[in-house]
Amino acid sequence: MFQKPNTSHAADIVGIEHIDGLYSYALVLTRNRSEAEDLAQETYVRAIGAMERLRPESNVKSWLFTILRNIWFNQLRQRRTAPQIVEMDVEGINVGIGIKTSDDDPYALYVSTLERNQVREDIEQLPADFREIILLREYEELSYQEIAVILNCPPGTVMSRLARARAKLRALLSSTWQTAVQGGRESSNECSRCASSQHSALSRQ
Amino acid sequence: MNAHDAHRLNILLYLDNELRGQELEYLLAHLDNCPDCRRLLEEERALSNLFHRTRPLYTAPEPLRARIAAAAGPAAALGNKPERKPERLLRFGWQSARRSGFRWVALAAMIIVVVLGLTLLPTVVRHAEAATFIDTAVTTHHSYQENQLPLEIRSSSPEAVTAWFAGKVPFQFRLPSSQSLPGGHPAYALTGARLIKFKNENAALVTYQMKAETISLLVASDKFAVAAGGDEIRSGKLTFHYNIRAELNVITWSTHGITYALVSSIHGSAQHSCLVCHQSMADQSVFK
Repeated sequence: MFQKPNTSHAADIVGIEHIDGLYSYALVLTRNRSEAEDLAQETYVRAIGAMERLRPESNVKSWLFTILRNIWFNQLRQRRTAPQIVEMDVEGINVGIGIKTSDDDPYALYVSTLERNQVREDIEQLPADFREIILLREYEELSYQEIAVILNCPPGTVMSRLARARAKLRALLSSTWQTAVQGGRESSNECSRCASSQHSALSRQ
Repeated sequence: MNAHDAHRLNILLYLDNELRGQELEYLLAHLDNCPDCRRLLEEERALSNLFHRTRPLYTAPEPLRARIAAAAGPAAALGNKPERKPERLLRFGWQSARRSGFRWVALAAMIIVVVLGLTLLPTVVRHAEAATFIDTAVTTHHSYQENQLPLEIRSSSPEAVTAWFAGKVPFQFRLPSSQSLPGGHPAYALTGARLIKFKNENAALVTYQMKAETISLLVASDKFAVAAGGDEIRSGKLTFHYNIRAELNVITWSTHGITYALVSSIHGSAQHSCLVCHQSMADQSVFK
């Protein structure tokens, strides 16, 4: 849980519980930490201003993700350029980003951190449309229908794109993550890079 | 594309609980006879588990949270703070009263409504949320009985089912071992479990059999599921809420961040329902 300097205001913001998801989505789209923060902030500012138009039965979460995506693509259009692929310093992005874990065991935390960083690196290698659909479905657990609304495409496109994105990501992961993505052997769910890192770390002790 | 690739899409839909009807039945029948597709299913499930373990992908930095809180502050000061539903309703009621010319009567009525509303609203909302969880538990129970929700793991081992849920649900829970009646026979038998969606989050459905009775247990995070209302039974720090819906007995309770709904057709009073399983347990006295 986070500590906020202005807790009373923050607690009142509708949809603030989705901030990690929105920030992740912004980072997946922009591949730039500063732009992602601005994009997430702008999303909440727009949402607060548009609350009056939100229907009571509306899905706040998918509404926020739709706002974020619309802002991003409007910004891209205003720049009159094709999407700029800004090379992302993965290590720089990971610095200062808290790792949530339910386990206080230092070893479990260490493995969890390595595992998450490896997944992030491989997701970053995916094309933009694959990155966002992996984020929306696998991390935010939005339904196919909700994703179809956000992406403004038919649900069938969501299904096929997700299948291709997973296959591509599986191929990337399998090179360093042999056991985690192979069924029936999940008990040894450490990637080879993690295992070698752990070995090196332990050897230094 | 080989024959198994054609099933991969349906396997993904199945894992995401998006496969229904005949397609679901066809896939399950195919999985029974196709080891390659079962391996595909396990591979995809392992990949999904990896995503589960690495959530959230990124965590919003503290300065961003502070900036958003600060940005919301001026909006509130200017009167642009988003109104929640009750606030909208109250404002609408006040404007209507002015138009009708009954200002003072309306004002008095509104004050009463506001006071009553502020007093009762949290309770009303809480009971409405509790009713939603109960309705979901009953609907899920019916669907399971009608074979519309096939189990994703079939096991009588609480440890195996507990392990299967690890990483799949946004909470940690452990199933207790089945208690035995005098004579060594188990009071009830675990049959299996599966995932279901409750308010867009994964919840656990655990099923038991007691002689001819089917018992289902819906387990969800208490962030989304509320236990309230009905006949209340207190046991230590726990409060059990006993309800009857669609001729089914539903007992709900919350503990350690998890809310449970136990559904069965076992008839009797609230105490009797609890004693069906707890009659031979050390805590039986609290239900008498």
